[in-house]
Amino acid sequence: MAWDFGNTKEEEAYRQQVAAFLDKELTEEIARQNWEDLGLDKEGRAFGKKLYESGLLGWSWPVEYGGKGLSPVYDFILIDELGKRWSAHVPNDVAYTMVGHTILRRGSDAMKKEFIPRIVRGEIEFGLGYTEPEAGSDLANMKMTAIDQGDYYLVNGQKTFNTESHYADYHWLAAKTDLKASPYKGISLFIVDQHGPGITIRPMITMSGERTNEVFYDDVKVPKNRLVGEVNKGFYYMMEALMSERNYVFTPSRYYPYLNMLLDYAKQTTYLGKPLAEDPMVRQKIAQIAVEIETTQLLSDHARWMEWNHQTMTCEPEITKVVVSEMEQRMVDNAMQLLDQYCQLEEGSKYVPLKGRIEWEFLHSFMTTIGAGTSEVGRGVIATRGLGLPRG
Amino acid sequence: MDFTYTDDQKMLKEAARRFLAGACPNVEWYLEMEKDEKGFTPELWKGMAELGWMGILFPEEYGGIGGGVLDMVTLMEEMGYAALPGPYFSTVILGGCTILAAGSEAQKQEFLPKIAEGALRMTLALSEPATTQFNPSLITVKAKAEGDGWVIDGTKLFVPDANVSDWVVVAARTAGKDTDRDGISLFLVETGAPGVGIALLKTVAGDKQCEVVFNNVKVPKGALLGEAGKGLAAVEKTLQIAAVAKCAEMLGGSNKVMELSVAYAKERVQFGKPIGSFQAVQHLCANMKMATEQSIYITYKAAWMIDQGMPEARKFAAVAKTWVSEAYKKVALIGHQIFGGTGYIVEHAMPIYSRRAKAGEYAFGSPNYQREIVAQELGL
Ligand SMILES: Cc1cc2nc3c(=O)[nH]c(=O)nc-3n(C[C@H](O)[C@H](O)[C@H](O)COP(=O)(O)OP(=O)(O)OC[C@H]3O[C@@H](n4cnc5c(N)ncnc54)[C@H](O)[C@@H]3O)c2cc1C
Ligand SMILES: Cc1cc2nc3c(=O)[nH]c(=O)nc-3n(C[C@H](O)[C@H](O)[C@H](O)COP(=O)(O)OP(=O)(O)OC[C@H]3O[C@@H](n4cnc5c(N)ncnc54)[C@H](O)[C@@H]3O)c2cc1C
Repeated sequence: MAWDFGNTKEEEAYRQQVAAFLDKELTEEIARQNWEDLGLDKEGRAFGKKLYESGLLGWSWPVEYGGKGLSPVYDFILIDELGKRWSAHVPNDVAYTMVGHTILRRGSDAMKKEFIPRIVRGEIEFGLGYTEPEAGSDLANMKMTAIDQGDYYLVNGQKTFNTESHYADYHWLAAKTDLKASPYKGISLFIVDQHGPGITIRPMITMSGERTNEVFYDDVKVPKNRLVGEVNKGFYYMMEALMSERNYVFTPSRYYPYLNMLLDYAKQTTYLGKPLAEDPMVRQKIAQIAVEIETTQLLSDHARWMEWNHQTMTCEPEITKVVVSEMEQRMVDNAMQLLDQYCQLEEGSKYVPLKGRIEWEFLHSFMTTIGAGTSEVGRGVIATRGLGLPRG
Repeated sequence: MDFTYTDDQKMLKEAARRFLAGACPNVEWYLEMEKDEKGFTPELWKGMAELGWMGILFPEEYGGIGGGVLDMVTLMEEMGYAALPGPYFSTVILGGCTILAAGSEAQKQEFLPKIAEGALRMTLALSEPATTQFNPSLITVKAKAEGDGWVIDGTKLFVPDANVSDWVVVAARTAGKDTDRDGISLFLVETGAPGVGIALLKTVAGDKQCEVVFNNVKVPKGALLGEAGKGLAAVEKTLQIAAVAKCAEMLGGSNKVMELSVAYAKERVQFGKPIGSFQAVQHLCANMKMATEQSIYITYKAAWMIDQGMPEARKFAAVAKTWVSEAYKKVALIGHQIFGGTGYIVEHAMPIYSRRAKAGEYAFGSPNYQREIVAQELGL
């Protein structure tokens, strides 16, 4: 035991393999399908398959389901290498980085056999079905019901902001199974065929062009064996998974490409005959972006390290989440100041700098402090769970 | 990756926590140390020497225990937590590290074991009045070869603890223009030598920063530390360690402020409830926690890189000094906010920490200076 910020030999070898693969196979188009949540198209799926066939997917998953039985560090390395190349996560990432882990922890053997091997191969995707019109931060206030009908559950209600649902194979659904109990003890999780009878999916287009969805259930029959774990434990399972999910989803590495882009821009752009890179204000702003990315990356490294060493995480991944999302907003603001009026130009416009990536990121940066839990709720978690302050 | 202390570091940390809790007993004592010309007590100095802290960074052949920068930051974090006053930092890091980096074998043998024993105090005289912004290569203090030695003339400013030092390492120009990187030489000068004038400055933190005037000060040939004209490299090495050690000290202070404020938020009742149950206060506490947490790992990573001899250490030390300086400042401000009026009173612990946060921010390069280093390291 001693402070160490490097990779082991094995980890470094894996990282290099992944890097070499991605440099060859990860096109800009695929990266953007991934990053911008545009929905995985044919190319994205084909890329996921190639990633698996190259032997680089699934190292952190149990051997009996097709993995290598190694620690999560390998999946974190994979995600970081993707992030460094504009692609924030693995293809089919809800399955691979969120849902899959809960199935492993809580699913029956039959459910694991049915789903995990396909997740490990990167074949299937899930839509995350938590949020409802009246249940955002207050998830326990959900109204969707799943009523036990003996042979099946009958599901009715509406979800909103279910991002991957339009191309996902399955819906990871939270619904009330006990209408009398406190919501914390009356919600269950289900796996539902996303495009089965009775389900209607309507697009919601966000200000950055990402698509998310409303999902309506009208008398949808869900087989009993698609209940995840025990009935009425759903809320607990969601909370149990939350910290780990943040470790996979909020990856500071995805901001390095922006930094590199800005460095090139500052070197190549001149103002009054001098490169921007020589302007002290520009140097300060870019350096501050680097300072924040490097320090945030370490928050993430630390929280993930806790996870793969089986330490109890109280609020560490939450810290990463809040810091990363707010850093993104500051980064964009700094970047836009460097571009000055050109920062307004959208991709495809005449004169657009940096392919419009900064303008897009500006639009996107409004969501990071909200999606997957707002900064306010996050600070509450840090204060109460992390610092032991009394609940208000 | 590993985010844990070694067993030895854990022991060091615990011993330091215990010793310093007794040695720095209360705010009254701090205030006394701030008023006191020396700013520390002989017993305190002796106690630290007995614990082996003076030689923590020196190899065993010079009376040290052969520790690395990671060991040093482990200790510094505790010193910051306790808000330890006195010339430990100046002696061991500014003086000791510079001699270790630049000194001849004979100089190392002469000085380092004495520092390790606690028998000698030192500092580094680098900044000058013209340096409104920190810049280690802006040196106008001149040293001229004369006869068998050198003659030093000029004024140094913001020299920590010169008033209690036996020796001072002086960075003086022996060639070149005022801002040239080359032409800077280091000299070991006794503070009692004729022509050396030391005046204590009045500072926000009550620490002992000095003006040191060299008026026709004659030193022998052997006073030259390292090669003539090539002193800046050793100074920069020392500054890198000093910046990271200062981060650790600020990190310790940050932790202490957070601990005090969170404890207060749990016990202070207004409107019939602990103020820590109000969301506005909870969010302030969360902000402290985030800023502090983000300070820990960058400090230890920078220290680790220096120990590993990695060239990226320059960048990461600068990243750390930028971040931690601003984080500690923010944490101190929040601490005051949580304590309300009571934290504004001079006998309270908060002002000790918030005033030191300010001193730390400007020591060895403010965030503006450090960001410039980061920019250079990014290839700008
Ligand atoms: C682009 C996008 C994609 C998303 N994808 C998915 C998805 O795939 N699946 C899914 O289930 N959900 C998804 N979400 C939903 C997301 O999880 C919610 O938006 C989020 O939890 C916040 O809920 P809300 O939008 O209803 O805001 P509200 O909860 O109504 O919050 C509004 C404001 O009130 C504040 N607030 C609320 N409660 C408190 C409190 N107790 N204390 C202090 N302040 C409070 C919030 O911080 C916020 O500022 C997505 C959201 C977005 C924007
Ligand atoms: C220099 C100075 C001069 C002063 N002069 C005078 C004077 O002449 N006459 C006089 O009568 N008083 C005076 N005061 C007192 C001043 O009015 C109080 O300090 C102030 O009202 C705050 O009260 P407190 O210090 O007890 O802090 P507290 O009320 O204990 O507050 C501590 C923290 O809890 C927060 N907090 C408390 N309640 C809530 C809540 N409901 N929701 C969210 N956060 C909360 C506060 O914002 C603060 O951050 C003076 C104070 C100072 C510092």
